[in-house]
Amino acid sequence: MPYVASIGTYLPCWGAPQHRVPGDDEDAITLAVEAGRAALIASGAVERVVLVSRDMPLLESSNAAVLLAGLGLDPELEVDERLGGAPATLDAVSSARPRTLIIGTDLDPAGAAAILTAERGLQVRTAARVARSLPVRTRNATGDVHDYGDPRLLHERGLVASLAAAWLDTPSAVAGVEHERAVELCIGAPPPLPTTGASASLFALAGMADAGTTGPLVAVEQASLSGVTVSGGVAELHRREPPARPAPAGTYLEGADIPISLAAYERAFEAKTRWEAGRFAASDELDFPPRYRLAEDGALASDYELIPLPRTGTVYTETTVHMPVPGLRTPYSLVIVELDGVGVRALVKVTGAEAGTVDIGARGRLALRRVAVRSGVPDYGYMFEPERAA
Amino acid sequence: MRKVAIVGAGMTAFGEHFALGIKDLLPMAFADCAKSVDKGLAKSDIQGAWFGAMGTADGFPSGILADSLGLPDLPVTRVENSCATGNDAVRNALFGVASGAFDVALVMGADKLRDTTSKDMLWKWEAMARDMAWDYPLGLVSPAGFALHVRRYMHESPTTREHLAMVAVKNHRHGVNNPKARLRFEITLEQALEAPTIVTPFGLYDCAPQSDGAAALVIAAEDVVERFTDRPVWIRGVGLGLDSVMHQHKPDMTTFPATTRAAKQAFAMAGMTPADVDVSEVHDFFTGIELISYEDLGFAERFGGYKLVEAEVTSVGGALPVNPSGGLKAKGHPPGATGVAQCVELFAQLRGEAVNQVDGARVGLAHNIGGPTAVAAVTLLEGSAHGAR
Repeated sequence: MPYVASIGTYLPCWGAPQHRVPGDDEDAITLAVEAGRAALIASGAVERVVLVSRDMPLLESSNAAVLLAGLGLDPELEVDERLGGAPATLDAVSSARPRTLIIGTDLDPAGAAAILTAERGLQVRTAARVARSLPVRTRNATGDVHDYGDPRLLHERGLVASLAAAWLDTPSAVAGVEHERAVELCIGAPPPLPTTGASASLFALAGMADAGTTGPLVAVEQASLSGVTVSGGVAELHRREPPARPAPAGTYLEGADIPISLAAYERAFEAKTRWEAGRFAASDELDFPPRYRLAEDGALASDYELIPLPRTGTVYTETTVHMPVPGLRTPYSLVIVELDGVGVRALVKVTGAEAGTVDIGARGRLALRRVAVRSGVPDYGYMFEPERAA
Repeated sequence: MRKVAIVGAGMTAFGEHFALGIKDLLPMAFADCAKSVDKGLAKSDIQGAWFGAMGTADGFPSGILADSLGLPDLPVTRVENSCATGNDAVRNALFGVASGAFDVALVMGADKLRDTTSKDMLWKWEAMARDMAWDYPLGLVSPAGFALHVRRYMHESPTTREHLAMVAVKNHRHGVNNPKARLRFEITLEQALEAPTIVTPFGLYDCAPQSDGAAALVIAAEDVVERFTDRPVWIRGVGLGLDSVMHQHKPDMTTFPATTRAAKQAFAMAGMTPADVDVSEVHDFFTGIELISYEDLGFAERFGGYKLVEAEVTSVGGALPVNPSGGLKAKGHPPGATGVAQCVELFAQLRGEAVNQVDGARVGLAHNIGGPTAVAAVTLLEGSAHGAR
């Protein structure tokens, strides 16, 4: 019987309050990293990671290395990439051993939520599971979407029929449906949820933990359903949910396939996605990016170790690119950030703010984002997110 | 080392030469140069060549130079040093002649930017300038790299966008008379300030146009100069300075150490100081770069560059004219050719033959910075007799 020690949530700042959209620099993995890091603020041990989504950026190749790097977790950890919606995430919670980090992440509406299990905390136990087929919306391996177009069929023969088959008590929260539907089906006031996919059931858990409500939590996807019962206990909750703003329109210039060197990508990967600098033994100096060094006598030093860099800093200089750049949305801002207390500067793009709004001297944090998609490869790195004006 | 002089100088017009390939531009520039040699030049006089080319239009650059000039016996060395390519080609040729290895050498520079579609140019040229994993995907387009410097420079100094615009107005005005310049029209301060933003703080008129072109110099050792001219222009000093390639590694972005290093070498070699310079061609790829370079070259005190444009000191007619040719701003910027073309302008200035003649000009300075902002070259030239015939 799993216990939830901590819950972390993340919503992109763009879009409508209850329907966020990811920035151009975000994908399901960067959202998952934000939520996962929020859950890990509580600093519990992690032994395995389960990532649930129907929006995985890579179906062939793996998303695991970037996920672990972004979360600052050991690359030896097992990562279970599960294709699924709200019920799949709840299933992962029901069957989780302690010290499992479970993350649900969605792109439309966009958001991610994560929980870390432990030996104590908020207690959940499996209450129901029903798998039934009513494929009113399908998406195949090449991304083709077909919509059957009958919401009443979905409601009657999907949700209502599955709920009846599951022999559940009246739920306290329902994830995976519109809020109005959830209100009809629940006792009390179920928490409004910003997503409907894999992350929705964890947002629901966060909502129940916030309100201190207990009872059945039901997650649905079409005609499939899973339920847990939330009983007593306390989970630490960290929400990274900035107010919503309209996404900047900008101008996207088609027609560029930005080239990549996968050899260069692989060499840079650890330092770039873990935000680490090189340091040689008996030296205080940090090299970012890491590099070999030559001593005065010409001797080569190549055995640097990677040291985590601070994730906060101050803008030293800035420029905003307005000219059209093939393959990128303009305008965008670039900054050189002086990282706190280490004498290291980083050249990064700005995220989470309209272009041209970050000034010299601005404070902010560095966050993992998808810097570009280059020849089909998502290229991850860090970007500067300015502190919001109070 | 022997003294070495420029005895001939010429160039093609800079522009979008869609109808002319690099194999056309090279002989055109050579012919313009040969024409300027007072006592005549035979192709067979040339014993070695240094060819500055940043790109590789139509293939192997050295071979293309020898082929297109019809000089199959000529040893050609290709020089590539980002925007400092042209003046670095001058520097290497100088060493070849000063050492005694050759008596007469050819310096050429050319690039053919407009053979690449404008859609692909940006990412193609970025690949020459950025770390492939760390900086390339950021979209740090060339003007943005320079803008990071100028933005910080404007933050720390009294320089305003008006001062940047004054540089554009000045260099456009200078370019009007230059038949080799690409943009031969005047602009007003208001036009410069109201132009569309390219990257902050640069508007359209703060940027030089990417262009095609070629330029050529013939240099000769002091022992043989008289065979070609009685009015040689001596190469008195050369310098080449480098700096960190990545912008995030430059501790003070309000100055270009590459320039100060190159200038220090060139002035030391010439036994001169910045006060000796009468006219200069300074790398104004972006207007703010010219202002910062005033300081790095020793023409202005730190953060005082703006005073020179405010007082029109650097206009033709002022005490220290900068970019009488129109600069990169009005002339255009085919990187390999740019530095050589600066020396073409100074050759004319120091012989009293320039279209925007600086009265009594005796010492001229050419300067480039690029790479991005990681390499600079400075060349100091001196006329024979106060620039007059």
